[in-house]
Amino acid sequence: MKGLQIALESRTLANGLRVVIAPDSIVPVLTVGVYYKIGFRLEPQGRSGFAHLFEHMMFQGSANAPKMEHIKLINSSGGVLNGSTMYDVTNYYEAVPSNALGRVLWLEADRMRALKVDDENLKNQRDVVKEEVRVNVLNQPYGGFPWLDMPPVAFRNWANAHNFYGDFADLDAASLPDVQAFFRTYYLPNNAVLLILGDVKPEEGFLLAEKYFGDILRGPEPPFTNPNEPPQTEERRGHIEEKFGTLPAMAIGYVLPKRRSAEWCAMALLDQALHGGRAGRIYRNLVLEKQIAVEADGGVDDIFGYNGPAQTTTRILHKPEISSEATLAAFDAVIQEVQEKGISADELEQLKVKWRSDYYAMLEGGRGGYMPKYGLMHLLACFSLFDGEPQLVNTILDGFLQVTPERVQAAAKKYLRKENRAIVFRTPANTDVKEAA
Amino acid sequence: MAAPTTQPSNAVPALAPERAVNWPKRVKSKLANGLQIVLVESHSIPRFHGELFFRSGNAAVSHRAPGLAEMTATMVRTGTAKRPSRQIEEDLRRLGADLSSSAGQDHSAIAFAGLSEFAEPLLGLVNELAREASFPDAEFERERRQKLEEVKLERTQPGFLAGERLRKVLFGEHPYAKVSPSEAQVAGYKREELHSIYHESYTPENALLLLVGDFQPAAMLGTIEKIFVPWSGKKPMVPQATAPANPRGRRAYLVHVPGAVQTQIVCGCHSITRKHPDWIKLGLTNSLYGGAFNSRLVMNIREAKGYTYSPRSGVSALQQYGYFSVSAAVRNEVVAASLTEIFYEVDKLRSLPVPEPELADAQNYLSGVFSMGLATQEGMLSQIATVALNELPDDYLETYREKVRALQPADVLATAQKYFDSANMQIVMVGDRSKIESQAALFGELEVFDAQGNRLS
Repeated sequence: MKGLQIALESRTLANGLRVVIAPDSIVPVLTVGVYYKIGFRLEPQGRSGFAHLFEHMMFQGSANAPKMEHIKLINSSGGVLNGSTMYDVTNYYEAVPSNALGRVLWLEADRMRALKVDDENLKNQRDVVKEEVRVNVLNQPYGGFPWLDMPPVAFRNWANAHNFYGDFADLDAASLPDVQAFFRTYYLPNNAVLLILGDVKPEEGFLLAEKYFGDILRGPEPPFTNPNEPPQTEERRGHIEEKFGTLPAMAIGYVLPKRRSAEWCAMALLDQALHGGRAGRIYRNLVLEKQIAVEADGGVDDIFGYNGPAQTTTRILHKPEISSEATLAAFDAVIQEVQEKGISADELEQLKVKWRSDYYAMLEGGRGGYMPKYGLMHLLACFSLFDGEPQLVNTILDGFLQVTPERVQAAAKKYLRKENRAIVFRTPANTDVKEAA
Repeated sequence: MAAPTTQPSNAVPALAPERAVNWPKRVKSKLANGLQIVLVESHSIPRFHGELFFRSGNAAVSHRAPGLAEMTATMVRTGTAKRPSRQIEEDLRRLGADLSSSAGQDHSAIAFAGLSEFAEPLLGLVNELAREASFPDAEFERERRQKLEEVKLERTQPGFLAGERLRKVLFGEHPYAKVSPSEAQVAGYKREELHSIYHESYTPENALLLLVGDFQPAAMLGTIEKIFVPWSGKKPMVPQATAPANPRGRRAYLVHVPGAVQTQIVCGCHSITRKHPDWIKLGLTNSLYGGAFNSRLVMNIREAKGYTYSPRSGVSALQQYGYFSVSAAVRNEVVAASLTEIFYEVDKLRSLPVPEPELADAQNYLSGVFSMGLATQEGMLSQIATVALNELPDDYLETYREKVRALQPADVLATAQKYFDSANMQIVMVGDRSKIESQAALFGELEVFDAQGNRLS
């Protein structure tokens, strides 16, 4: 087996900003990211969707780079940029030719130091975000299913259970003072990590990081609301109407073990046994063999990237002539089989090879080939912010490769229980076939 | 707070000197059976990416039925003379590999990626899928029923409906107008017909094998020869399609989706293919218009007006004909306002020379982003696929950046006038008729359809 070791160096500036550099000068391209340890999970109550709206505001102007300047400077340097809001982090990233390093760091530092936005910017981005929600959720068949439908059914703590894209009334209520308060609370050097990956000499990277970010003021440690859930004692169910699609759908989500535990590694491979593509047990059974479902996919989304309760979720679209209960029974039979019989050593070996291969692929790319090293950036950021150990990127694979068939079966018995799951049924308003009783 | 070592400047830092962009060597070969091969080393991770292309897709067989090449490609992974479906899927997992088989208008392809240590068995499986797929009856019946559900589902997606209507409008009787089969057409698919399409088109004379990744080309070439030399087969006969009429005059088409809370707009006109000498000019002109975040369309209808989240424009280069299109999903109240701005920006680029600084920014953008293709195996594969499938010159990758940078404002003006055919642009809107019809009718003679393609008025 040929391993892969990522060269990396990390330091923390006096203001608390963590800096991680992974040099690799094969091609003259750089990936730069800034991650803030705040996502939609911990956005303020009464302001659902705010963390994401705020992410849009970070492109609307900072002290020395007015609206559009940020985008214009990155594009005209030959680079691309974007940002995204996740459960527990928000990222801003650029891929550029390596001669643009100073410019990218200057821009990221400028908006970490001082956001400069007005009411007109806020109104504009509120409109843009509403169209984003319409195009991705409200005007799409199965839009937001299940990532927006599942949390209110599965969880009781508002942090985990609210609408992460935002209710429109909450988006409308968001004000400029909210924007500045959120910025002052969470967008601090001591709540962030800067990643520089690719064609950079580490010493030069650290010098430039100090030059541009070194004088940004540290702030008080941001409040951390406990996202833990009260114990769950029974299966939870919810029902939602599907406006456009004609196939009945359901999603079944099980809460995962604690991050970085031995059980978590076993659960990850079990998840692959269930969901891993066309060889996965759920797809094979429901789509290929029993032909109950038209789609059956899912699994843990971004297993390294969360810092609070998370689920592995199966998403099923089934044939209208098969009832929801019959579909669920078929799904339960797959779960029961793995609980009773476990998985063979041979199956586990296949899963480990695939896991290792996928891990390497994630480090290299991760965003459809246009964003080099996105996955490496994401892992280094999460391991820095959640664990304080960016070097985990070189060792975390070992835990998965040590999982045994016994541990997989134990995880199935302990975590794939009905009292540990929630089910959302998304039922079409219009179907051509009546569902069987 | 620690004292800063140096004071940051308020001025934007200048770019450092550019490091040379060196494209890796493409090792080319051709087997006696006609199989063309291009190999590129890329040692970023111990994996490789590959794609086995066949130079015929749905358009080549659309006189029989739409989507037949796609259905054929779907069947390819469902069983071979040696391995049933389940074993294929488990063997892929055992090799740490992903594989997909699909077909577009012009090509069919088996795309794969996996660990370098298992390159030989993975190529062996690809070879088996390309030569010995058995099209099992039961798998065919299942895939056909599956396809029926898929074609129903896509008719509920605004993006699909908009793209499909635009293709019909632009390409009329030409195969490119047929984006997807109807339910009745899928019900009429026959296993024997798919199998014969497979035998005709999955041949080495019709094929191109591209590999990028962590391997030594000489050794990899030896492996490929060992596996693929015994394969044989001629190029398929493809009927010549008649040229599509280029629609004259602006017309508006509304696809009615009751209850839609947003309108998907797409406008388009005929343009050119990848091989055309004006291609690079058109790419730059498109980038200025709506092909980048920092483009006029995005600045206008997103950043200034907030009408939409994701406006964009692009040139779709099919093998025989290309087309230019602009799309935006906008709120229902601003359909007319959005179209007005879309055409304002088109007409502005056709009327006034682009200022030199704006041009330079766009040139830097395109040339920088082009070299991102170097950084990943998948990106590199996509670049060499473009060159090979379109039979572009050998030095295309090396000379692209300098060609982009040599263009002048006059080139952009002439290109916009020639290919942003404002007066003959076709307009498609997918949305709720009761909310948008009066706005839609302002832009040309209006035809209204339902999601199934039936004319309503």
